[in-house]
Amino acid sequence: MRKMLAVALGVLTAIGGFVDIGDLVTNAVVGSRFGMSLVWVVVVGVVGICLFASMAGRVAAVSGRATFEIIRERLGPRAAGANLVASFAINLLTLTAEIGGITLALHLASSVEPRLWIPVAALAVWLVLWRVKFQVLENVAGLMGLLLVGFAVALFLLGPDWGELLRQAVPPSAPGNEHPAAYWYYAVALFGAAMTPYEVFFFSSGAVEERWTSKDLATNRLNVMVGFPLGGLLSVAIAACAAVVLLPAGIEVSSLSQIVLPVAQAGGVLLLAVVIVGIVAATFGAALETALSSGYTMAQYLGWSWGKFRRPARAARFHVTMIVAVLLAVGILMTSVDPIAVTEMSVVFSAVALPLTYVPILVVANDPEYMGEHVNGRVMNALGGVYLLIVVVAAVAAVPLMIATGAGS
Amino acid sequence: MTDRGTRGEVRLVDARLHLLSRQVLDSDGEPVRTVDDLELAGPDGGEARAGQEAHVSAILVGPALALRLFGGRAPTSRLPHIAWEDVGHLGTAIELTVPSDGLDADWVEHWLRDRLVGRIPGGRRDPEAGS
Amino acid sequence: MNVGDLLDARVLGPDGAALGVVVDVRLALELRDEPDDGPGDGQDREEEEHDAPLSAHARRDAVGRAVVVGLLVGPRGAGSYHGYERTDVRSPWPIPQLVRRRHRGTYLVRWEDVAAVDAPDDGAGAGGRPGGAWRVRLAPGYTERPPDLPAARQAQQG
Repeated sequence: MRKMLAVALGVLTAIGGFVDIGDLVTNAVVGSRFGMSLVWVVVVGVVGICLFASMAGRVAAVSGRATFEIIRERLGPRAAGANLVASFAINLLTLTAEIGGITLALHLASSVEPRLWIPVAALAVWLVLWRVKFQVLENVAGLMGLLLVGFAVALFLLGPDWGELLRQAVPPSAPGNEHPAAYWYYAVALFGAAMTPYEVFFFSSGAVEERWTSKDLATNRLNVMVGFPLGGLLSVAIAACAAVVLLPAGIEVSSLSQIVLPVAQAGGVLLLAVVIVGIVAATFGAALETALSSGYTMAQYLGWSWGKFRRPARAARFHVTMIVAVLLAVGILMTSVDPIAVTEMSVVFSAVALPLTYVPILVVANDPEYMGEHVNGRVMNALGGVYLLIVVVAAVAAVPLMIATGAGS
Repeated sequence: MTDRGTRGEVRLVDARLHLLSRQVLDSDGEPVRTVDDLELAGPDGGEARAGQEAHVSAILVGPALALRLFGGRAPTSRLPHIAWEDVGHLGTAIELTVPSDGLDADWVEHWLRDRLVGRIPGGRRDPEAGS
Repeated sequence: MNVGDLLDARVLGPDGAALGVVVDVRLALELRDEPDDGPGDGQDREEEEHDAPLSAHARRDAVGRAVVVGLLVGPRGAGSYHGYERTDVRSPWPIPQLVRRRHRGTYLVRWEDVAAVDAPDDGAGAGGRPGGAWRVRLAPGYTERPPDLPAARQAQQG
């Protein structure tokens, strides 16, 4: 059990990256339109985020510096400021979508008008940020989010033609009726979601919250190797459920109730209930992750004191930033924009900002003045270089693809 | 300037590389601000002059960042200062030998603490103390 | 005068020819003996480790005064240097190689060889941007020195 709790940070971080509300929808859309043909992107994304999250965690453990402090220190105030603006905007949009997602999931469970849930959800998020210990927060949200494993159970209960699913996945190619540009748009969106920068902001800051030192490098590795692959697995299971049930039926996913349709079909009310609890927990966890990340990034750029391990009064500006972020999210939701559509676009935009986050991590992980003997090895650097290239390609391709495909439609 | 037992050795550093944008921690390890600029002074503590001995007299924070980002000038004496004499160690952060409570550079934090965050129920509760 | 004023300032030769821009300001930090921190420090140190785990693996020096040694003059303007061009770190390929190439031709000018540091004219500058760039004029007979930072000395271990 203690081993399980030790990886909670990695699990919660991965849930925010792979199965938050925006990704739930994207995964189901991808499964219902492209079958399993984009699974390879999830695999590529999992390896990438494992690589950079483990570097960010190692830097935090050895040097005591979280990722956005490193970004400011290496890129200087101007480029880091640009990254801060982009990252903060993505955080805020995602937080908005998560709070909206909590209300949608609660609506699914209670059939009370979602808008009435908005203040309740926002207040609940803030109360947890304000009062709950970091370790409790990550354990509860992370482990409850794992109930999404219900999607994998549903997949087995559905008893699909595994050979057919495998044929869709390897070798990957877009289904004939889909335009290649739409295929690649979703490839970039899935990759961007897997590598969203708030994951490393949260993970590295969480490492400082948990007071990791160079003695905890094994914990770091374990968190990364368990958390992100698990997140990737959940996201593939969701896509597979959609590929088995929704793709043949020709259903285009546009709401949360369609996403859980395969689960209801396979496992009945009980499994549906489990998955809905999982969705609420995962979405709530992602809301906490993004709200905390907005505080972390702002505080680390400007050098304020931050962290849940401090009394709120000893990290006043950090807590005020998070309060403002939650209030802004509520304000955006009240305008009744579709929060899920907003995050999906923000994920693509975040692909543009990826290099500004991952280059400094790679550079500092090689700096002996920061890392002493724990600098990157050759394999780590070679893989890091390859991923930097992928990140840059994705960054360059993101916006043109979005325009060319009308955001994937 | 007091001689604080230097051992006659020096470490060469580049300001942008090693000092600017580094985190400043107070004597308790609490973050104070990030180094936004460094003020130079001459041997007598007066204005630094080209070609004549000059040293870093203070860390500047806050508005100094906006000045560097967007240009413009302000009288240095009005910017929030942290005296260089209060610096103890340089590592991956700059560590001060004084607590942040006495620093005017941290007034926004103190103001928010006293006026807002400290007044919300639970604002002064230690989250690690258990529930 | 602030370090921020010097950074990115335009550098002019004694004859007024444009030489480049100030890419960094080199300082000499006086190192202090560690036990000089005064009594009661042991307790502080313990608490600090509790709050912000600073590993013994990262470099950390007790420092005193920081004296200006010189200016690093480069052919190109602002940008991020990642610290590569002046150290011997070679990984991860290809970032250090690219940064070095971009900053080839950077040299160190001693502070004694700086004749004047001029604030931008407060009147409307030619560029239209308020403030404009500062100007650094070098003294006749200045020398271009190698920009390398000596490799981190193993003072503590050695």
